[in-house]
Amino acid sequence: MERMNRRSFVKVAGAATGAAALVAAPPLARAAAGDEAKAIQPSTDVPDEPVVAYVRDAERGEVTVVAGATERTYRDRELAQRLSKAGSRQRGVS
Amino acid sequence: MSSHREAPGISTDPVADNTDTYAFVSPDDPSTVTIITNYVPLEGPPGGPNFFEFGDDVLYSIYIDNDGDAKPEIAYQFRFQTSVRNPNTFLYNTGPITALGDPNWNKRQHYTVQRVMGQESRVLGSKLACPPCNIGPRSTPNYNALADAAVHQLPSGETVFAGQRNDGFFVDLGAIFDLGDIRPIQHLHLIPTPDAPSVDPLKTLNVHTIALKVPISKLTKDGSVPTDPSALKAVLGIWGAASRRKVEIRDAGKNGYATKESGPWVQVSRLGNPLFNEVLIPLGEKDRWNSRNPFGDAAFLSHVKQPELAKLLPVLYPGAFPNLQALTADRADLVAILMTGLPSGIVPGFQNFTGKTPADMLRLNVAIPPAKSPNALGVIGGDLAGFPNGRRVFDDVVSIELKAVAGATYPLVDSSYTPDAAVGAVSSYLTPAADRYQSTFPYLGVPHDGFDTPSS
Repeated sequence: MERMNRRSFVKVAGAATGAAALVAAPPLARAAAGDEAKAIQPSTDVPDEPVVAYVRDAERGEVTVVAGATERTYRDRELAQRLSKAGSRQRGVS
Repeated sequence: MSSHREAPGISTDPVADNTDTYAFVSPDDPSTVTIITNYVPLEGPPGGPNFFEFGDDVLYSIYIDNDGDAKPEIAYQFRFQTSVRNPNTFLYNTGPITALGDPNWNKRQHYTVQRVMGQESRVLGSKLACPPCNIGPRSTPNYNALADAAVHQLPSGETVFAGQRNDGFFVDLGAIFDLGDIRPIQHLHLIPTPDAPSVDPLKTLNVHTIALKVPISKLTKDGSVPTDPSALKAVLGIWGAASRRKVEIRDAGKNGYATKESGPWVQVSRLGNPLFNEVLIPLGEKDRWNSRNPFGDAAFLSHVKQPELAKLLPVLYPGAFPNLQALTADRADLVAILMTGLPSGIVPGFQNFTGKTPADMLRLNVAIPPAKSPNALGVIGGDLAGFPNGRRVFDDVVSIELKAVAGATYPLVDSSYTPDAAVGAVSSYLTPAADRYQSTFPYLGVPHDGFDTPSS
């Protein structure tokens, strides 16, 4: 598994298609980091070959990024916590 | 069934469900091998208006191992693309389809074929047309011409076809899944009923076929055309598989509903020997088996050594299989037939041994020429060109494998064993109609049309 900070992670993910779809796994029980994410209406349709990130293991801070024909897992505790927290806020009837 | 709906996961995904894989020396062109992989089980011919087709989001693969390591040295990959000529009608066709380019045909598929060897890949053909499904006398009045036009000779030497065909596999499905019943001998069953003729529900159903004819010299390790059946290089391991992308996102976006895929390919279906996953692998492991490659099949070896069906037969047919019931040793005969191939010295003039690595693959000895008078029972019927030497479209694999599991082949590894007399009565009891198959590529017969076969 590769180590990566959040800035380099976003740079890699964004460079692949110019857009990153973030899909979070079930939420962490623990409190997450800063509450910076703002819910919005998507401005575009899902792009072709979307870059998808999901929390593989929130406790370990593992985030898996699927992009193109590849899949790689990174350790980024801050990002994993933010994704998990965003996911926990979305619970309920959709 | 051979591998129709054989595992919980893949049974919900018919376009990726590999139902049968065949591999044989082409009877009308013996310098070539024909490999067929079928998908979309149990197609009812009248299933419109969105008739059956391949999956645009599926990677279809044919794998060839030519050095006995149970890993593919060669892969042929197929990708499909559907196009709609007129989105403002509900109809598949707006008039008779008389040619592959006919403007009356509204929803059609094309495909790309790629050959992969190691890190090298080469596109052999693109924008290759599939035929339409066989609809009826008004829509597809000359279906044979459409199907013939969809046989493509590639500049690289291969011949390909992809489209609907008659399903050549035959079995009394309704009986066999009713607690292993065999209608013609069901008075012997644990829950007896009067004997009755076998029924073949697949005789009116279609399937989607990918057929590939390849010069033998393009498949063997050294580029030769082996003529000595005892040579190890004469044996090819062959299997088919289907894969999907890791991620699929369904989006009801601004431009309408769409799905988008991303990520590496994940295998969801595979098939070498008929009935392997279906009969030998337990329910809880079937989807895992589908996701694996033959090289790792040692993990499933115990299910071949001690097959569940061999224990069930003496229970389901009380008193009919006393010798099988007493047989507790590992089934080295089944391991050889299905997982390593038969070495020389077991069946005179025959071997299809690929080495000690246990792996589910069809094993085709290409040095054995096509039979002049084929026997659907293959090797156990004295016809060395048939299953388990590869598999021909008409081989009665249900009878062969039932007999083998029932003990018919155990004397190959233990001459002191006497098969039960009932082994002779274990059979599919089916003889497919002649039009189920054809003598030329793609060898499976013309698909049933929905007008004349409306109620399957």
